[in-house]
Amino acid sequence: MFSKKKRLLGDNPPLKSTYDAVIIGGGLHGLATAYFLATRHGMTNVAVIEKRFIGFGAAGRNTAIVRANQRTQENLPLYKEALDLWPVLTKELDFNLMFYNCGNLNLAHSEAAVKAMRLQVASAQFHGIESHLVDPQQCKELVPALDITDKPRYPIYGGMYHPPGGIVRHDAVVWGLAKGAAKRGVHIHQGTAVTGINVENGKVASVDTDKGKIHTSRVLNAAGGYSAALSYDFLGIRLPISVLTIQAMVTQPLKPLLHHVVSSGMYHCYANQTLKGEIATGAHMDAWPNYTTQNTAHYIKHQAEALTEFLPCLKGIKFMRCWAGLADMTPDMAPIMDGNDQVEGYYMDCGWGYFGFKSSTVTGKYMAEFMATGEYPEILKPFTLRRFKEHRLMGETAALVSYSADN
Amino acid sequence: MALTITCPICGKRNGYEFRYGGEDKGPRPDEAGLTPEDWCDYAHMNNCVAGVQKEWWCHRDGCGSWFTICRDTTTNLEVAEPAASAEAEAK
Ligand SMILES: Cc1cc2nc3c(=O)[nH]c(=O)nc-3n(C[C@H](O)[C@H](O)[C@H](O)COP(=O)(O)OP(=O)(O)OC[C@H]3O[C@@H](n4cnc5c(N)ncnc54)[C@H](O)[C@@H]3O)c2cc1C
Ligand SMILES: [Zn+2]
Repeated sequence: MFSKKKRLLGDNPPLKSTYDAVIIGGGLHGLATAYFLATRHGMTNVAVIEKRFIGFGAAGRNTAIVRANQRTQENLPLYKEALDLWPVLTKELDFNLMFYNCGNLNLAHSEAAVKAMRLQVASAQFHGIESHLVDPQQCKELVPALDITDKPRYPIYGGMYHPPGGIVRHDAVVWGLAKGAAKRGVHIHQGTAVTGINVENGKVASVDTDKGKIHTSRVLNAAGGYSAALSYDFLGIRLPISVLTIQAMVTQPLKPLLHHVVSSGMYHCYANQTLKGEIATGAHMDAWPNYTTQNTAHYIKHQAEALTEFLPCLKGIKFMRCWAGLADMTPDMAPIMDGNDQVEGYYMDCGWGYFGFKSSTVTGKYMAEFMATGEYPEILKPFTLRRFKEHRLMGETAALVSYSADN
Repeated sequence: MALTITCPICGKRNGYEFRYGGEDKGPRPDEAGLTPEDWCDYAHMNNCVAGVQKEWWCHRDGCGSWFTICRDTTTNLEVAEPAASAEAEAK
């Protein structure tokens, strides 16, 4: 009844022996780049090669949170543009992306966290991004279900409220972009794996797949959790990435009680209520690299405990479903967007960790510009791989407290 | 899959008692003549093997010792060192 085919976007077009560009990975970043190559640069002889089906990776597993209140001057403009793009793309793709700008409330559980947020709020405001510091009482006004007493293990000292953020339907973005790209002639090859990249005289010459060889001078590595392994296997280029499984879950449906996305770095937990009434929650990453995409009893318990500390009304509610995906984490919590450097024609868009949904469309726009013109767009330059060798790590980590249970 | 790690002192224990310490990248590079690139390679760059890799662990909530094991990153299962198991098969 539920045949495998149902998940596929149409039938695969025949694999051509030559494309102007090959994109590895039918996730959001790969599809967005293909879409913008076709629509903004007239490059339609493009193939997206996807090992499973579009959205199989983190693109279809994320918790769909979008916001533009990052910490560093390099990250903020990128995320601001990304947030502004949702309504534009909804129209352009003629596909309801279900952008629900309900706002994000990020909780602080210490004086130090409030001070860190003050800086983060000021940085966002400097870029014209709406973000405010709020006190515990205002947190309670925004989310009446919050426990702002001194009962929880980590009481609430305040928060950072970012009204323009919220939720976007991630599967809709995957399908909207894929349809938009396919309509303009991009070939999306599902069930096809890239198995190698061939370099001649320092330039990309062809790509091997399990369905045959493709001649091309441009290849984009947008393989998400597998991007670092592929980069090393195919080209011997090692990346500063650790791949961790990140877990998420939803509760049974409840009547409306949570009108904003709420997150807490201290509890390592975020939650929002879907339009169906479920509380979608997550944030836990395994503290060691692995590719399992498995949930563990350890973290489901941890998640339940954390969530009910600041939202005690959820005690006794059941988790209904859980799943996990891969996060390709960098040491400075910022992505790697680079290309044409060690190997001419080899582009990378990876290291997105657990924040690569909100930025996928704007990244696709600029990576497409980069691949079409060969010129590194200004906005991407801070994200070069070279920053690690030059010891210029970005300060985005500070905004997120910690990314693994042990760090 | 439940992660278990074998500490050379305490034996096989629940994986949550341990702290991951990174891929085994060989000995720390000599400081004499060390370039920033070499240091970056050692400190940050990973092979990210989807399969068996040799890695460091610390028995954080136990005896505190640091040691290496081999683990399959696609299953979370500890495995014998590949060369050693090939030898065993040959016998
Ligand atoms: C549980 C979870 C929650 C998250 N929550 C959020 C959130 O709330 N907000 C946010 O902004 N971000 C979030 N993220 C992060 C976000 O989902 C990712 O950063 C983003 O989806 C990465 O997109 P991508 O296109 O780079 O990779 P992916 O979507 O993973 O796509 C990569 C694709 O490459 C394919 N592939 C791999 N190897 C090959 C090969 N050899 N040949 C061909 N194809 C191959 C895979 O099958 C996959 O489909 C979350 C992630 C997870 C796992
Ligand atoms: Zn021990």
